Amino acid sequence: MSELTQYAILFALAVGIVGLVLSLYALARAIGRNKPEPGKDVPATAGQLSRDPVWVRYHARYYGYALLFLAFDMEMAFMYPWAVVYRQEGLVALLDMGVFLAILFLGLLYGWSQGALRRQ
Amino acid sequence: MTGLVLAVALGLGAYGVAVLEHWASTGRFRVAGPAISALALLGRESILPRKPDRLFFETAPVLLLVAAVLSLAVLPLAPGLIAADLATGALAFNAALAYVLVALIMAGWGPDGAYGMIGGWRFLGQLIAYAMLVVMPITAVAMRAESLSTVQIVASQEGLWNIAYQPLGFALFALAGMAMAFAPPFDLPTAAGDLAGGVEAEYTGVRRLVFRLGRMVLILSVASAMTVFYLGGWLGPWLPGWAWSAAKILAVASAMLLGGRMVPRLREAALLEWSWKLGIPLALANIFIVGLIVLVVPT
Repeated sequence: MSELTQYAILFALAVGIVGLVLSLYALARAIGRNKPEPGKDVPATAGQLSRDPVWVRYHARYYGYALLFLAFDMEMAFMYPWAVVYRQEGLVALLDMGVFLAILFLGLLYGWSQGALRRQ
Repeated sequence: MTGLVLAVALGLGAYGVAVLEHWASTGRFRVAGPAISALALLGRESILPRKPDRLFFETAPVLLLVAAVLSLAVLPLAPGLIAADLATGALAFNAALAYVLVALIMAGWGPDGAYGMIGGWRFLGQLIAYAMLVVMPITAVAMRAESLSTVQIVASQEGLWNIAYQPLGFALFALAGMAMAFAPPFDLPTAAGDLAGGVEAEYTGVRRLVFRLGRMVLILSVASAMTVFYLGGWLGPWLPGWAWSAAKILAVASAMLLGGRMVPRLREAALLEWSWKLGIPLALANIFIVGLIVLVVPT
C-alpha cells in the first residue's frame, strides 16, 4: 500500500470513530431525554456554584521545567532521523550527537544549579 | 477482512482492559461487569453543566477516543495484521498520543468546574514530566531497528528482545507510558479522592461512557506499544503471532494496572523532579549505551 492509502485509512478511522460516538449519542437520546431539574447542572463543587470564577489564569509553577522541555523537545526532532541512519553512519554519528547532547545536558545541569528544576 | 479482524481485536482488547481495571481496583473478576456498566451509563442522563464551553466539553471525550485509536492503528498485532503500516510508525504513535493532553485540557476547561480545571492543568505538568521519557527510549529502539516502522522494530528483535537489549529504556518507557495513560500511581488528572474525579467529574451518562472507552483504548495502546517496542511483538514459539501479541498485551496491561495500585499517587512536583533529575539523565545514558552496543555488535 502506498503512503497516501495509509493516511487515508487513518483518516477514515478517525471519521468512523466520530460516527460511532454520534450513533451512541443517538442511541442514548432514543432511550430517554434529560429531565431539567434545578441544581442538577451545578459542577461538582459541593453542590454550590464555586465562589470564584474558574476560568482565570493559573500560576504555571513548573515553568522552569517547561522551558527546558522546549529545548529537549526540539532536540527530539533531530534525534528521530539520526536514529534511523545511525548504524550506517557509525562512530561519526555517535560523536556528532554526543557533542550535541553533551551541550544540551550541560544546559540541564546549569538549569538545575540555578534552581530551575523546582516547583516555583 | 483485515480491517474486520482488527476492529474485533480492538473491541475485545478494550473490553479486556476494562475487566482487568475493575479486577485491579476492586479485586473482583467480573467478565460481564463492563457490559453492565456500559448499559447503565447509556441509560443515564448526560447532564450539561450550567455554563459550559460547549465546543471543548463535547470534543474532549471524542478526541481522547480518536487519539487512542489512531495510536493503536500504527502498531502491528501480527505480520500483515496492522491498520496502517507507516514508515514513520513510531513517530505517528507519539503524534497521536500528544492529543491526549489536548483532550484532557479540553475536558478540564469545558465544564467550568473547579475540580476539572485543576485536573486538566495538572496533566499539563504531567506531560512535561513524561513526554521526554516516552520519546527518548523510542529513539534508542529505532537506533537498533534502523527504522521507525513498527513492523521493522518487531523484526529487529528476532534474536533478542529489546527488554534484554535495553532494560533501562524499557523501565523508563513503562513508567512514562503509565503516566501517559494516567494510570495509577500517575492518575493526577482524575485523582479519585482529592479531585472527585477531576477531568471526568462533570461527565455523566453517554459522554462518560465515551470518555471511559477512550481511557480503556489508551491503556490498551500503551500496553501494545510496550509489547511492540520491547517484548518482541508477535515473536514467540509454537503459538501463532496474534496469540503471542494478545497474551503479551494482556499480561502487560494487568501488570501495569495491578502494580500501579500498590504505590501511592505521586505529587506533581515529585513527578517532575524524579523525571528530570533522574529520568532524563538515565534516558540519555540509555541512548549512549545502546549506541555503543549497536556499533560494537553487528546486527
